[in-house]
Parts: sequence; structure tokens; C-alpha cells
Amino acid sequence: MDERRTAILAEIPRLRRYARALLRDRDSADDLVQDCLERALAHMDNWRTGESPRRWLFTIMHHLFVDQTRRTKRRAEVVMLTLDDSEALSSPADQAESIASREIMDALQAISPDRRAALVIVGIEGFSYAEAATMLGIPAGTLMSRVARGREELRGLLDDVARRRAIRVVER
Amino acid sequence: MTRRDFDERDIHMALDGELPQEERAGFHAWLDANPEMKARSQRFEADRSRLRETFAGVLDEPVPDSLAGAVTGEAKKSSVAAPRWRMAAAAVLLLAIGAGGGYLAGMAGLGLEGQAEDQLAEEAIAAHTVYAAEQRHAVEVGANDRDHLLGWLSNRLGLTLIAPDLSAEGFELVGGRLLPAGQTTAAHLLYEDAKGNRISIYVTPEGKGKAKGVYKDEKGTASAVYWLDDGWGCAVVGTLPRDQMLDIGRNAYRQLLAGAGMT
Repeated sequence: MDERRTAILAEIPRLRRYARALLRDRDSADDLVQDCLERALAHMDNWRTGESPRRWLFTIMHHLFVDQTRRTKRRAEVVMLTLDDSEALSSPADQAESIASREIMDALQAISPDRRAALVIVGIEGFSYAEAATMLGIPAGTLMSRVARGREELRGLLDDVARRRAIRVVER
Repeated sequence: MTRRDFDERDIHMALDGELPQEERAGFHAWLDANPEMKARSQRFEADRSRLRETFAGVLDEPVPDSLAGAVTGEAKKSSVAAPRWRMAAAAVLLLAIGAGGGYLAGMAGLGLEGQAEDQLAEEAIAAHTVYAAEQRHAVEVGANDRDHLLGWLSNRLGLTLIAPDLSAEGFELVGGRLLPAGQTTAAHLLYEDAKGNRISIYVTPEGKGKAKGVYKDEKGTASAVYWLDDGWGCAVVGTLPRDQMLDIGRNAYRQLLAGAGMT
């Protein structure tokens, strides 16, 4: 196998993490990664030698994600989501997830896709503002404000959850 | 140490390692002098740690063969089975067409069904819209007569109906009623939280095929999280944010199935 394929292979765990944070559902996230890999391999020429495969791959995947959310938004009049199989019937979903993890995953899914992507790429994946702005194809100032707003929104949602829990405790 | 005014933006920049080295000492002095800002910064930092911890495990998961194969060329192209997220997008298109002109009926022969769940979701949303708005006549039998309510509805539906405990989500049972649903009947259970938000659980013993999903009405106000199976349909309807509806829906559904002995 050539060096470039080996380099791409090594990025799969990071791509999966980014996709999981964007979409939460494991199967949908892996499907997104799969699409990303297929597109990358079909456009290998666009990858400049010497450039980090990570940034190149993240850029491809981000664009696929944006296309997907745009398509969904345009058809906002009727929204249909498939729930993943683990949520069906008798198998209790998310058993492995702690309550804290679930809460933060739920909150992350509740913020807008733009902010979510900015927050995840900087906050979890650890890219710099400049790198993230290039990958997301937006000015650095926009990136910064998305990260900040995303973080504030996330905190607000978590505060709401905590407040609701507190109310419940008081009620009993 | 530089002297400049710091603000909330700097909290984010510092957290993301974007604050120039020479400004950091000044920033920390500013935080010390502003306990509120310091607390905010600490909360953001804790959230980031939680986010990172939550997703850290993904890196240790074994890479699925299908993904590795896509790179090494050893796996078949995935185009045979369209990726699920694309299928979800296609389903959205389909429903949108259906809502636009009722083409769905003509498409059923092509295997593009979607009517039964649409109908279930629409009936459930209609029941919710009518009865959740009622103050005095929202339910036929109140939660104070819970055993009678559930016994009666179970008999009429021909399945064991329980009222899911949604207190973890802050919702308490208000009561319920019997409704007509096509050729059969449906049970409608109404719940309310401390803020007066209401959600409905709609259960019918009629169902064809298997489907589950979320359906939003055309006005985009109420959404129904539904599950459809042979001889069984269930929808949880409300106007809460999507993720909250999903959580409540899943919780209620699990309890309903367990209560009906279907697990």
C-alpha cells in the first residue's frame, strides 16, 4: 500500500471522533466518514504533497456535513429522522454512556450545526483558529464568534438541565 | 505585563490557546480581579474537559473493516447500500413530496411507502393540538382515577396500556381519553410539567410495517416521535425542542413496551 493511503488510514480514528461529535449517532457518523474516505480517494490529486492529511480530510468531511445539514434545512417543513436501532424495542440505549456524557452530547446536538462544528473542531480536535477557519472556509473572526457562541449556548443548555433537575429534587 | 482591557472574548481565546504569551499574565490578573469572569472561564474549561472525555473513547475503538477497506481498496464500495444518513435525507425528500401533493400514494408501488407512519403521526399531532389546548376538558378521565383510566383504555385497545413515568423529565400525567383512529381506537394520554408544557402519548393497536422517526407538522410547531410496528403504533407529541422530544419519546416508548409485555 502506498504511503498516502497509509497516512489516510491513520486518520480514521480522528475522523470518526469528529463525525461522532457532529452527528452523535454512531452509524450515521461512520457513514459520513465512509463518504469522506471515498471522496478523498477519488480526489487524491487535490492533496498537496507535504500537506497534513488530517486537515485535508477534515475539510472534505466538513463539507459533506454542511451539504447534509443544508439539504435537511431546506426541507424543514417535514423533518424525518431515523432513530438508531439501539433505541428501538427492548434494548436500553446508551447504557455505556454516563449521565454526564449523555447530557453534554444532547446539548451539543441541540446547538446549531455551524456552531457545533466550530466548537468541536477547536475544542475537541484542538485545531487553531487559523487552521479551523481555513478548513471550515470562513473568516477567522466568524470562526471565533461561532466558537464563543457555541460554548455559551452549550453552557446555557447544561444550566437548564441542571436547573430542571434541581426543581425536581425540590418537588419531592 | 501588558495593560489592556480584557473581556469575554479573551476567555475563549485563552481557553483555545490563542492569547499571545505576553498577554497571559495580564489576563490572569484580570480574572483574579473579576470573580464572575473567573467562574465563567472555569465553567467553560470544565465543559471542554467533559466534551473531550466524552468523545475520547472513540479514538480507542477498533476501526470498522468497512472504513479501513474503503482506504485499502479491500472492501466493496459502499454504493450498494446507500449510507444511512443519505437515506435519511431521501426520506425527508419523500415526505416533503407527500406533504406537497399526495404523490406518495402513487409511489407506494415502488416500495417508497411512508403513509402509515405519516398517518399515525398526523393523527397523534391532531389529537395533541385539540386536547392539549383545552383547560377544563383536556381529558376524559383524570390522573386521580388512574387505575380506571388505564383499565378502560387497555380493554378498548386490546393491549396492556400503562402510563409511562415521565417524572424524570418533569412531566406528570394529567389524564387520558379514548379516540377514534381509522377503523379502530386510540388512547390519548396527556402529561404536563411545572411550566405548563404539555405532551401527548398516542397509542393505537393498529399498525402495518415497521417504522420509527420524527415527524414535524407543516407549521413546524408540534413534532411527533413515533414507532410503528405490526399491530402497534405509538407517538409522543409535543412542542418541546427536538432533542428533548426524542429523549421523552424514547423513555416513554421503552416503558410502554415493557408495560405491554412486548420486550
